[in-house]
Amino acid sequence: MQGVLAVFPQLDAVCDAIRDLKARKVPKVTVYSPTIHHEIDDAIDAPTSVVRVFTLIGASLGVTFGYWVSIWSSQYWPLQVGGKAIASWIPYTIMGFEMFVMVGCLSTVAGMFINAQIPRLVTNFGYDARFTHGDYGIWIETTPDKFAELEATLKSHGAVEVRGER
Amino acid sequence: MATTAKPVQGKIKRPNIPSAGIQVPAVSSFEQVDDEILATLKPSSKWFMGLGLAIAAMLVGASAWTYQIYWGLGNAGYVPPVMWGVYIITFVFWVGIGHAGTLISAILYLFRAGFRTTIYRASEAMTVFAVMTAGLFPIIHIGRPWKFFLLIPYPNWRLLFPQFKSPLLWDVFAISTYLTISTTFLYLGLIPDFAVMRDKETNPIRKRIFAMLSLGWKNTDREWRHFAKMYMFLAAFSTPLVLSVHSVVSFDFAMALTPGWHTTIFPPYFVGGAIFSGFAMVWTILIPIRKWWNLEHYVTLNHLDATAKVVLFTSIMVGSGYLSEFFIAWFSGVAPEQEYFWNRVFGQWWWAGWILLLCNMIFPLSLFSQKLRRNPTWLFILSIIINIGMWYERFVIVVPSLSHEFEPWQWTHYTPSWIDMCFLVGSFGWFFMWFLLFIKQMPVIAIAEVKEIVPPKMKNDHGGHH
Amino acid sequence: MSTESGATGVKRRDFLKILGVTSAATVVTGCSTDHVRKLIPYVSNPDNTVPGVSNYFASTCRECATSCGILVETRDGRALKIEGNPNAELNRGALCAKGQSALQGLYNPDRFRQPMARKNGQLTAVTWDDALQMLATKLGEVRSKGQAANAVFINQHEIGSFPAVLDNWLRDYGMPAHISYDADAPASAIAANKAAYGVAWPSLDFDAASLIVSFGADFLDGWGPAVPLQLAWADARGKVEGAPRAIYIGARRSLTGLNADAWIACRPGSELSIIQFLRGTKPVADAAAAADVSVATLEGLKKEIAGARRSLLLAGGNGVDSTQMATEVAEYNKTLGNVGITIKPASPLGIYERLDVSAAVFNAADRMNAGAVPLLFVRGANPVHTLPRSVKFAEGLAKVGFKVSFTNVPDETTELADLVLPDHHSLESWGDAEPTANTLHLQQPAMEPVFSTRATADVLIAVARMDTALASKYTMTDYRSWLASRFPGGQAAQMLALPKGVASASSLRATDRAAGDLGRKPSAAFAGAGDFHLVINPSPTLGTGAGANKPWLVELPDPVSKIAWQSWVEMHPMACKKLGLMRGDLVTIETSAGKVTLPVYNYLGIRPDTIAVSLGLGHKSQSNRKFDADGDRKVPFYSGYGRYAEGVGINAVDLVSGDTDALSGAIAYTSMKAKVTRTGENIDLITTEGSARQHSRGIGQASTLAALVAARTKKEGAPGATEGAATTQHDANAAEGGHELGPKEWGGNEHAFVGGAPTEFLPGLKSPVANDAQGDLGTQDSKDKGMYSEKHWSGMAKRRWAMTVDLSRCTGCSACVTACYSENNIPTVGATWQGRALSPTVWDTRPGANIIKGREMAWIRLERYFEGAEDSENVFDPGFDTRFVPMMCQHCGNAPCEPVCPVYATYHSPDGLNVQVYNRCVGTRYCSNNCPYKVRYYNWFGYGEPGRRQYAFPEPMQMQLNPDVTVRGKGVMEKCTFCVQRIREAETRADLEQRPLQADEFTTACAQACPSKAITFGDAADPTWTVARQVEDERAYHVFEVLNTYTAVVYLKKINHTVEA
Repeated sequence: MQGVLAVFPQLDAVCDAIRDLKARKVPKVTVYSPTIHHEIDDAIDAPTSVVRVFTLIGASLGVTFGYWVSIWSSQYWPLQVGGKAIASWIPYTIMGFEMFVMVGCLSTVAGMFINAQIPRLVTNFGYDARFTHGDYGIWIETTPDKFAELEATLKSHGAVEVRGER
Repeated sequence: MATTAKPVQGKIKRPNIPSAGIQVPAVSSFEQVDDEILATLKPSSKWFMGLGLAIAAMLVGASAWTYQIYWGLGNAGYVPPVMWGVYIITFVFWVGIGHAGTLISAILYLFRAGFRTTIYRASEAMTVFAVMTAGLFPIIHIGRPWKFFLLIPYPNWRLLFPQFKSPLLWDVFAISTYLTISTTFLYLGLIPDFAVMRDKETNPIRKRIFAMLSLGWKNTDREWRHFAKMYMFLAAFSTPLVLSVHSVVSFDFAMALTPGWHTTIFPPYFVGGAIFSGFAMVWTILIPIRKWWNLEHYVTLNHLDATAKVVLFTSIMVGSGYLSEFFIAWFSGVAPEQEYFWNRVFGQWWWAGWILLLCNMIFPLSLFSQKLRRNPTWLFILSIIINIGMWYERFVIVVPSLSHEFEPWQWTHYTPSWIDMCFLVGSFGWFFMWFLLFIKQMPVIAIAEVKEIVPPKMKNDHGGHH
Repeated sequence: MSTESGATGVKRRDFLKILGVTSAATVVTGCSTDHVRKLIPYVSNPDNTVPGVSNYFASTCRECATSCGILVETRDGRALKIEGNPNAELNRGALCAKGQSALQGLYNPDRFRQPMARKNGQLTAVTWDDALQMLATKLGEVRSKGQAANAVFINQHEIGSFPAVLDNWLRDYGMPAHISYDADAPASAIAANKAAYGVAWPSLDFDAASLIVSFGADFLDGWGPAVPLQLAWADARGKVEGAPRAIYIGARRSLTGLNADAWIACRPGSELSIIQFLRGTKPVADAAAAADVSVATLEGLKKEIAGARRSLLLAGGNGVDSTQMATEVAEYNKTLGNVGITIKPASPLGIYERLDVSAAVFNAADRMNAGAVPLLFVRGANPVHTLPRSVKFAEGLAKVGFKVSFTNVPDETTELADLVLPDHHSLESWGDAEPTANTLHLQQPAMEPVFSTRATADVLIAVARMDTALASKYTMTDYRSWLASRFPGGQAAQMLALPKGVASASSLRATDRAAGDLGRKPSAAFAGAGDFHLVINPSPTLGTGAGANKPWLVELPDPVSKIAWQSWVEMHPMACKKLGLMRGDLVTIETSAGKVTLPVYNYLGIRPDTIAVSLGLGHKSQSNRKFDADGDRKVPFYSGYGRYAEGVGINAVDLVSGDTDALSGAIAYTSMKAKVTRTGENIDLITTEGSARQHSRGIGQASTLAALVAARTKKEGAPGATEGAATTQHDANAAEGGHELGPKEWGGNEHAFVGGAPTEFLPGLKSPVANDAQGDLGTQDSKDKGMYSEKHWSGMAKRRWAMTVDLSRCTGCSACVTACYSENNIPTVGATWQGRALSPTVWDTRPGANIIKGREMAWIRLERYFEGAEDSENVFDPGFDTRFVPMMCQHCGNAPCEPVCPVYATYHSPDGLNVQVYNRCVGTRYCSNNCPYKVRYYNWFGYGEPGRRQYAFPEPMQMQLNPDVTVRGKGVMEKCTFCVQRIREAETRADLEQRPLQADEFTTACAQACPSKAITFGDAADPTWTVARQVEDERAYHVFEVLNTYTAVVYLKKINHTVEA
């Protein structure tokens, strides 16, 4: 895997660079930032995360299970307690709710992991420790022949360092 | 991660939470954030002393438990029909403590309350450990702890499952869900910070560990995108939990027909009380931390002031709860009910009743004065008072009702015994042991989130710092 | 189980006939304590034994001289439970707490396990041969020295052939007839009866009376033949209409007094002037002055007696002039023409035949002190404990040449003996008794001896046969064969009679001893100084001390004060206020004889100028001589009266001056003055009583005849029985000024059942049949009802087990409690080693420590509520009313305890039982919190776990445990099960015999034992059962009806008989 890694100290610099790259239709661009910045979201203008789908599925499975396990188990072995209905759904709402929350959350997390591609084993490639500290970065996966051109573009937007990795 | 709204095209909207300039004026750059917060992780002698103390206390509880499992519950102070005592009281107390953390990290997050940014990590950790503590007590309290698994709907060959109509089983579900979710919430919030620590770390082994904990987090745009969404949903899930968990706990009482328990006001009134005591505990924890680890410019007086307002509000909420209970007892015309409430303030249990009223209703009124709201020392003292008051609230709910029920022949009294106290001490030991271990391994303030409000460097700078 | 035997399923009577034929074989081969130690079943069954099925042996109770007929349930050769023998007319299947506790005498861990002889100051185990040899030689010596005539034999008073046999034996050795001693006997009444009616004890007919006046005769506190008297009383009072009104005259309102409708609180000893006034020999003013009651009261009493259709006057009392009083009362009975109608000298009871007066023992003591007694025998009796110190019995013993004890448990007297020849327990021995003329109660062993003991009768015979001079006279091999030989029809006839336990024959009569001079001292009017009259009364359960080594009895709260494991002094709240005493304050009570320190119990039912102390406790080793622990004794030896009595309470006899009733020679217990001084200390009263007041919660309800009648007239036109019953209650309460029924006070509307069951109630029983109270199971469209369906093959859902408790019968005697303990393996928790840890290493060793913490385990408890006399601190008001309420699990149709259990450890069975599953229980105790009746009990310690210090069944007591009932481990909740084991046994037996369960064919332990027949158990869904009729009674009500628990226990109101009624 080969590509160009650029380090930017300033936020607006990296944003300009992103817009420029988009204009040039450069593929496989990854942006690094120490924290969330709307400027960057705005510049990238990515589609909405699909995590919410996982949430929906998980939560509905959860609530179903919650009700099912309590109702089925009481029906399977009918025992009278305090003159209550054998399967009394009103109290069982609590099981439904708790399972709704539990499974909903866990599936959301799973969704995030899948989409964000973590856990990730290798972090040393196309990455710089400065990105967790203070600086912003852009990583473009591309072939060596495009290096020169891209380097120029990134520099022009104020990259303090541009290095090709191969 | 405080901002998830997709901004309007073209003109950039600033995140709609107060920026560092307003919140933490003393913090100017990302580098400063990293250095100052990671600095708190260096172990100090004070910390070792604290940890030693906590472990000692924890061991007191642990040995008490072995003793109790061997001999049976008889050594505790129970006087039938007072079949629930210090254990259940302490259980409710700790569950209550937990709620503030989730409230701060989830509800305030959705409400975009700025003052949560620097205090949420600590309180979230507090939640997790408080629930861990609370979770022990139902098991300590039951007569045959080794049979606890019967409360879990595990598949067994007879397919005989627990009794889902029992409030105690609802507890099992509520508490386990709560523990799972708050732990997940805490850990995911930590991932970006683990990444920071990984990259700062020089010691290869620690670096490796942090690398694993950070799951190879790289701060890429795609990570942030899904992360933000996920975090928002978790907050959305935790929000109802804050209300539900303590409502379910209150059902343990409200579902019984015992005078003083059999009332519909309990859920809101328990939740109010939980948040009340939780914020108090946040003070108990944060005020020393900010002082000893020089974080005053992160957790500022403004933050304390804001939390103080929450405490004042919930205190009034709880107080009106008490008063309406008395009214309803009078209004119902039910003799056992009335006798119970009379007992609570003038009868057998007057002292407990007044401790409760003073600590939870009267003293917090002092927070109407801004001077006191901005006085850490007073807030710390008040936090202790409130914690005591809230423990007694549960005492007043559990014991006097049981000691003075329908059947006069079985009216009785109750005094906790030495072993009850061992468990109370032990629970604090257990809680603080975990908390102290936490604050020296993981950043007690969310690095990535603070960076978010700190103005970033700009090429053509408007007001940003260099 | 109780009315049927398990063996072959035939009715018990037939079964016992069969059993009888081979009962001898059974006795010999069937019950071996060796077998019971193994858990393996018999390789070859002895006849009539089916493992796991009980055998019943008819025998005779020896706990008091009444000699009730009993049935001893045995399983695999060990006695499990004692119940009254329904064949015995005397007690009609009922049995008191004392009688049932005989088992704990049998299995008492402190029993002598073999004969003992004193070697260098220590009682040491010896073999029977050596022991008998020793006795024989001693007898020889005494006889050769010609001192035989000075020997003394003190025997615990009993009736039957043995006293006569004993006298004959003594005569053969040239020794005087034995002293038959009974510290509990009502001497004054006996003397008066002899004087007035010519018999020791005429039978009394409460039923024929319309007015009962008791001059301190505590016929419900163990005065006279307890069970027969209680049965008669309950039957009379039970018939609501035409039931006799009862008036109690005395300084202290005893259990009898509390059951009476009115109490005339006269000064102690003034009963005499009252009866004299009634007989017109004393002007009313003087009588009133002496008795310190108003003239109006006395006039009223006289008017009532005159107006009564038929009256019954009883006189007891233990004062210096009680005999005179009793005699006058007897004379008055004659004047009123009660003799022959309510008092029947023609059909006397045998109970006090050949009883010696206490003076006889006094004289013996004097002779002992004079050193004139070479040889002394004691059997069963414990004079060192029961006699006043001034008699100096213990000192006298020291001067006796040789002391032989036949007692089988260590006690204060026996521990001073030189030779101990432990007698069999009555459940291990043969014998007979003639409680009523020409009716013989047979006594047979129910099991092989637990330890190496021998029946005294057999010992006597054996010794005689060793003696060359007498051998010829004693041809019989043992006492049993002798009994058989003199039984009309011989051995064969006896064999046939044994299973029934009753035969029409008579025992060998003994001739009364010459009484000797009565009264050692001229009886002063009131001995001692002090501002309080002191009344000392025998405890209804512990007597004068015999019960103190049986945990069931010590843990059984006193029916009046509800205090257990402790002695107390009763003082009126006014007196307490005057002296500034709180409940539980320690005071020192000092009389001319001695002083004791006791906690105060402020009691409404005693005159403000009087204090009362109960006998029965305070056993202590006179000489702290320890016995050497013999081979298989794994436990530390307890001197005195055994581990359960050690250090419990004080002995009120220490206060007794020793004055006697000049006419009867009886010790005067109530004619002393006492000084009361406060110590300033306060201790916990070991009581089960929370609040003695009902706070208008309608637990024990009462009504009057007038109210009932009024209600009936209203009832015409009311639709259903339910309606009717409901209306009845409320009118009845209205008639009493409405201070009764809880619901009203609670603002609930008692007519409408909020959230009532979907389908109709059983008539009367305001509680739905189990399976249709129950939510969607009750509705027609509900799916699978499982076992709850009427159509289910088990048919369980067709039944509804229920119970009624008739409060107009219940006297609060608490026999049901003991029955429950013995049937359901309930641990006693008050012993000194059962307390909790006060620190990791220090244990609370106070007796009753657990009960101070409210942790008694009684599944059925007797609540005692007072009504009226609210301002007792300032006013003395004798006119208060008492309600005794047996409270056990109510088996609610909608039980609050069930839905809160997270693990189904408690749920509702299709036949209406509230089931508790011990091995499912995790011990959250939520069920107890949610139980309005507070009838669930929790195992705080491992009471059932051998090796724990709190273990409640020290060897060999575990032999008594009922194999049908689990012994609960620690951390488990338990409660009344309606004796589910009996229900299932009966059902199973019916199935085996392919027949339906018959009405009333079995009942619960409490109902079976109840000497008032107040409890009825059965299937309320089946109209043929008695309970189904009872629940429709106009007096029926449910406790805490407003809570909609639909209880299966229905109480019938107590009826207070007012003057008009």
